[in-house]
Amino acid sequence: MICGMFSCFVLICIWELVGFNPANPLTQVLPPPSKFLPVLFESDFKIGLGSQSTSIYQSVFVTLFRVFAGMTIAFLAAIVCGMLISLSEWAELFILPVLGVIAPIAPIAWVPLALVVFGISNLTAIFIVFMGVFFTLTIATVAEIKRIPENLLITARNLAGNRFNVWRMVVMPAVLPSVFTLLRLNFIAAWMAVLAAEMTGLRDGLGSVVMTGRNLFNSNLILLGICIIGISGFAVDRLLLLIQRKFFWWKV
Amino acid sequence: MKLIEALPTVLSCRNLSKSFRGSHKQETVVLADINLEICKGTFVTILGQSGGGKSTLLKLLGGFLPSSSGKVLFNGHPLKGNTPDIGMIFQDHNLYPWMAVEQNVGFGFKIKGEKPGKYKHLVHEILDTVGLFHARKLYPHQLSGGMRQRVAIARSIVVKPTVLLLDEPFSALDVQLRRRLQEFLLALWSEMNTTMILVTHNVEEAILLGQNLVVVGDSPGRIVEEVQISDAQYRDRYHPDFLRLQRYLESVLEGTSKEQENGCCEEILAIPRIQRN
Repeated sequence: MICGMFSCFVLICIWELVGFNPANPLTQVLPPPSKFLPVLFESDFKIGLGSQSTSIYQSVFVTLFRVFAGMTIAFLAAIVCGMLISLSEWAELFILPVLGVIAPIAPIAWVPLALVVFGISNLTAIFIVFMGVFFTLTIATVAEIKRIPENLLITARNLAGNRFNVWRMVVMPAVLPSVFTLLRLNFIAAWMAVLAAEMTGLRDGLGSVVMTGRNLFNSNLILLGICIIGISGFAVDRLLLLIQRKFFWWKV
Repeated sequence: MKLIEALPTVLSCRNLSKSFRGSHKQETVVLADINLEICKGTFVTILGQSGGGKSTLLKLLGGFLPSSSGKVLFNGHPLKGNTPDIGMIFQDHNLYPWMAVEQNVGFGFKIKGEKPGKYKHLVHEILDTVGLFHARKLYPHQLSGGMRQRVAIARSIVVKPTVLLLDEPFSALDVQLRRRLQEFLLALWSEMNTTMILVTHNVEEAILLGQNLVVVGDSPGRIVEEVQISDAQYRDRYHPDFLRLQRYLESVLEGTSKEQENGCCEEILAIPRIQRN
């Protein structure tokens, strides 16, 4: 953590040194933090023009809400679907290949379709995050269920566990940590998907902050948006890591 | 020591065979024509070389595997699948890593939907017996190998099975720990009325623990020797009789025993061979 902070500090120092000379053309495109950060305070933490302006907190909140809602729904649905699929060999034979075909589709490819179906709303972004995470997680859940050591299941059945209780008390806890780890890894994809959706179709959120900067030819706003995206993404990743360590720490 | 002759049969198998179909649809016979009778409350050890089919025999006895031919009788009735009356402990402890020790031990009650208040005292009692009451709040990764195996034993015996099957439970442990756990298991068996069937490839362990010792030869697995050892000298690994029996069983396992055909156990070692009708 300290090493990482030190690296960021060094990067910012280099950036500031390069941007120190106003004659440097690069400064116009990549203004250093000392140039773009004051934008935030000058505009009273609001971005945009007139009545269209929204506070930066609101943008961060909206984006995070979309990502968390999409990921939570995808996580729960993947666990349930993965378990149902692994109950039957037929389901595995018929459903898994279909999921395998849909999984590699980039979440951004669903944006036009989602806009038509859900319109410009939170549902569109949640749907895109869901599509970016659900299929991979379902395939992973099925794979993880197969990886559970047979003796763990034999022991549970031996202790007179009925099928439902064995699933609830052994199979589910056994697969949760690895599926959650995959969810954490997929968060980056979900994060990028929702930002892309905000840049292309939706009018609010962190993605739209960057697009506002582009429309106003304001490099300071663009870089401010990019920095907030990076810091928020990092913070969420750390939060997910914390959840993983606190609630899903075991290995089967 | 329990008198084997006076005890009723709890588990028996008649002409039991098991074969597996390989990838090229070839039948591999793992066990052939096994006849065995296990009396209630006895400690039986099944000795055999690795890969000789002794673990398969144990799974057949527990109803974890269907037989290819022959049958297993449990309390006189054909065994159809596994029953909680026959518990099983594996080489690997198979504890649930997300559960603390007392949750693991109480799992047999929890999975049946019983309320913790009803079984908590039983769990604490058994943890006290296995000397792990102080570790009840710890998780499996915080325990040593021996402690984990004791938790696995506690989890199996707390539900009071009639028969407890042990599939090389101490083979992954170091010598000192293995010896301590062997003594612990013997003490536990003396205290309870559970029939124990332990599979091992370790001759010393088989003699030390077993009242009835069954030797399974390989390719395919058949019972090649059965001896009854109820005298105290077979609980002392340094006793000359113990060492003689050990040498004899090693030669049986290697297939080099010349005396076996002549009833060596009875005549040379003065150990009764198990008689069958």
